[in-house]
Amino acid sequence: MLKGNTVNLTKILPIPLIFIVLAFAPYFLRRYHLLILQDILMWVALSISWHFFSGLTKYISLGSVAFVGTGLYFTSVYLNLSMYKGYYPILPFPVVVLLAGLITFALALVIGSVTLRLKGIYFAIATFGVGELVKGIIQWWQTTAGVSIVHLPLELGNPLFVYLSLLITTFAVLLVTTFLRRSKFGLALKMIGENEDAAAHVGVNTSLYKTLGFAISAVCMGLIGGSYAIRFYSTRVDIAFIANYSFLPAIMTMLGGVVTAYGPIIGATTLTLVSEYIRVSFASYFPIIYGSVLIIIVLFMPNGIMGMVEKLKATKLMRRKEPAKAPKMPS
Amino acid sequence: MWDIILRGAINGAMFALIAVGLNLQYGVTRILNIAHGDFLMLGAFITAFVFKFHGVNPLVSLAISGPTVFVLGVLIYGIVFRRLVRLSRSVEELEFKSLLACFSLMFIIQNVIVIVTKYYPQLQYVGTTYLNETIFIMGERLELNRIVAAVVAIIISVLLYILLRSTRAGLAVRATAQEPTGAQVVGINISRVHMISFGLSVLLSALAGSLLSMIYPNLNAVTGPHYTFIALAVIVIGGTGSFIGSLLGGFLMGYAYYVTTKTEALLAMPVVYAFLIIMLLIKPKGLFGR
Repeated sequence: MLKGNTVNLTKILPIPLIFIVLAFAPYFLRRYHLLILQDILMWVALSISWHFFSGLTKYISLGSVAFVGTGLYFTSVYLNLSMYKGYYPILPFPVVVLLAGLITFALALVIGSVTLRLKGIYFAIATFGVGELVKGIIQWWQTTAGVSIVHLPLELGNPLFVYLSLLITTFAVLLVTTFLRRSKFGLALKMIGENEDAAAHVGVNTSLYKTLGFAISAVCMGLIGGSYAIRFYSTRVDIAFIANYSFLPAIMTMLGGVVTAYGPIIGATTLTLVSEYIRVSFASYFPIIYGSVLIIIVLFMPNGIMGMVEKLKATKLMRRKEPAKAPKMPS
Repeated sequence: MWDIILRGAINGAMFALIAVGLNLQYGVTRILNIAHGDFLMLGAFITAFVFKFHGVNPLVSLAISGPTVFVLGVLIYGIVFRRLVRLSRSVEELEFKSLLACFSLMFIIQNVIVIVTKYYPQLQYVGTTYLNETIFIMGERLELNRIVAAVVAIIISVLLYILLRSTRAGLAVRATAQEPTGAQVVGINISRVHMISFGLSVLLSALAGSLLSMIYPNLNAVTGPHYTFIALAVIVIGGTGSFIGSLLGGFLMGYAYYVTTKTEALLAMPVVYAFLIIMLLIKPKGLFGR
C-alpha cells in the first residue's frame, strides 16, 4: 500500500504563530478592518476546503454552495428556533456549528456517492445543479412552513465573537487539510487526480477515497457556513445560497495558483481585498468592475500568483547559471 | 386535460427555442455558456424597454433585441473566449475556465440590469403583457400572447434548422461541430464559425427572452439562471449536438414543468434540477446524443 509523506515540522510551525498574531489582532484594529478580516478568513477557509478536494483530485466541484448554504442556514434556523421560539434546547454556539457540520457531512456523503461517478464537465454541471436543487428544496420547505426571514440573536453578532469563531474554524480547517494532504489519504486523492485508472490498479479504493475527500471538504464548508452565519442579523434562503460560494473559491484558487497549498490562501486574501477596494471606491458600479476583474483573472492568470513567482524564480536561477556555460562534449 | 396538453406544449416550444441555441453553441465551441439565461433576460429587458418607453410592439422588437444581443455576443466572444480557446491546452481546461468566465459574465449582466432598473423602476419586472386577450381552444381559456409566442418560437427553431441543414454556412457550422481539425483542413475558418455560433446562440436566447416577456409579467434580473438550467436539462435529455433531441427534450421538460407548476409551483425548478442530475447519471450523452 501507499506510504504517506512525513509531516515536515518547519513548514507547519508558522501556522500557530500566525494564529496567535491574528488572535490578538482585534485589539489593534478598527471595527471596519475587523469586518474585512472576517471576510478574508471566511474566503480563505472556503478556498482551502475547495482546493483540498477539487485541487487534488481535479474533480471540479461547483456545488460548494450546497454545503456552505446548509451550514449557514441550519445554524441560523436553529439559533432562531431555540432562542426565540423555544422549540429546541438552547445549545452553546460551537455545538450548533458542529451539528451543522454533521448535517453537511451526511448530505455530502449522499451527494458525493451519487455525483462522483461522473467525470469532467458532467461532474461540474451535476454539482452545480445539486447546489441549486438543495436551495430549491429548502426554499419550498421554508415557504410551506411560512418562514421568510430568519432573525438571529443579536448578542452573538458581536464582531469580536464572530471574528474569533471564524478564526478558530479557519485554523481547524487549515490544520486538518494540511495534515490530510500530507498523509496517505492526500496521496491517494492526488493519485486519483493524476490518473484514476492507475490509482485503482495499484489498489486505491478510488470511489471510497473520492467520496470521503468530498465529504471532508464539505464538512469544512459547512463549519465555515455555520460560523459565518452569526455575522448577519437576519438570513434569507436566496442570500444563504448565493452562487458566489460555489464559483469564487474556484476563481480565488486559480488566482493564487492551483498547484501549491499556499495558492488558495494567497488568492482568497488578494481577491477579497481587491473586491473591498472596488466596493469602497466605485460603490454602485462595483459588480460590473468586480465581474470584469474576475474575467481578467481567468483570462490572464492561468497559473496564478504562485505560478508567476515560480516563473520569476526560474528565470533568476537561469540568469545566475548563465555565465557557467554548458560543458562541451568531448570530441 | 386539454389545459395540460396546450399549456405544456406552449412551455415546451419556448424551452426548445432556449435549448436549441445553447446546444448549437456548446456543440460547436465546447464552451458551456451558463450565462445563457442572462442573455435571455437581456433580450426580455430590451423588449420591455422599447415597449414601455417607445410603445414598440414586442413582436417588432424581436428585430431590435436579436441583432443587438448578437453583436454583443460576437464582441464578448472576440474579447473573452477567443483568447481562452487559444490559451487552453485541452478541452477539459477550456470547459472549466469558460465556466468560470461565464459565471463572471452572468454576474455582470445580472447586475447591469439591476443597476439600470434602479434608474427606471418601471423596468424592475420586464413583462410587457402584450396581447392579453383570452380565446377559447377546445373549451380551454388561453391567452392569445402565449399562442403567438409559441408559434413564433417554433418558426424560429425551424428556420434555424433549415439554415443549418441547407446553406453553406450551416454546412460549415456542422462540419466544425463534428470534426474541428478536419474542418480546418478543408479551409473553414473555425475561429469565425465559433464566433458566429456564439452570437447566434445568444441571439436565439434573446429572441426567446423577448417572447417570454410577452407571457410572464414577473421576469426580473435574477430569473435568468432558471432558464439556463432549463436549457441545460433539455440538452442533457436530448443529447448534445442533436437538434431533434433538443426539440423533444424541450417539450418533455415543458410538460414536466407545467404539471409541477399546477400541483406545487415552488417545486417546478427543483424538478428541473432533478431531471438534469438524474439524466446525467443515467445517460450523460442524452437520448439522441452522438
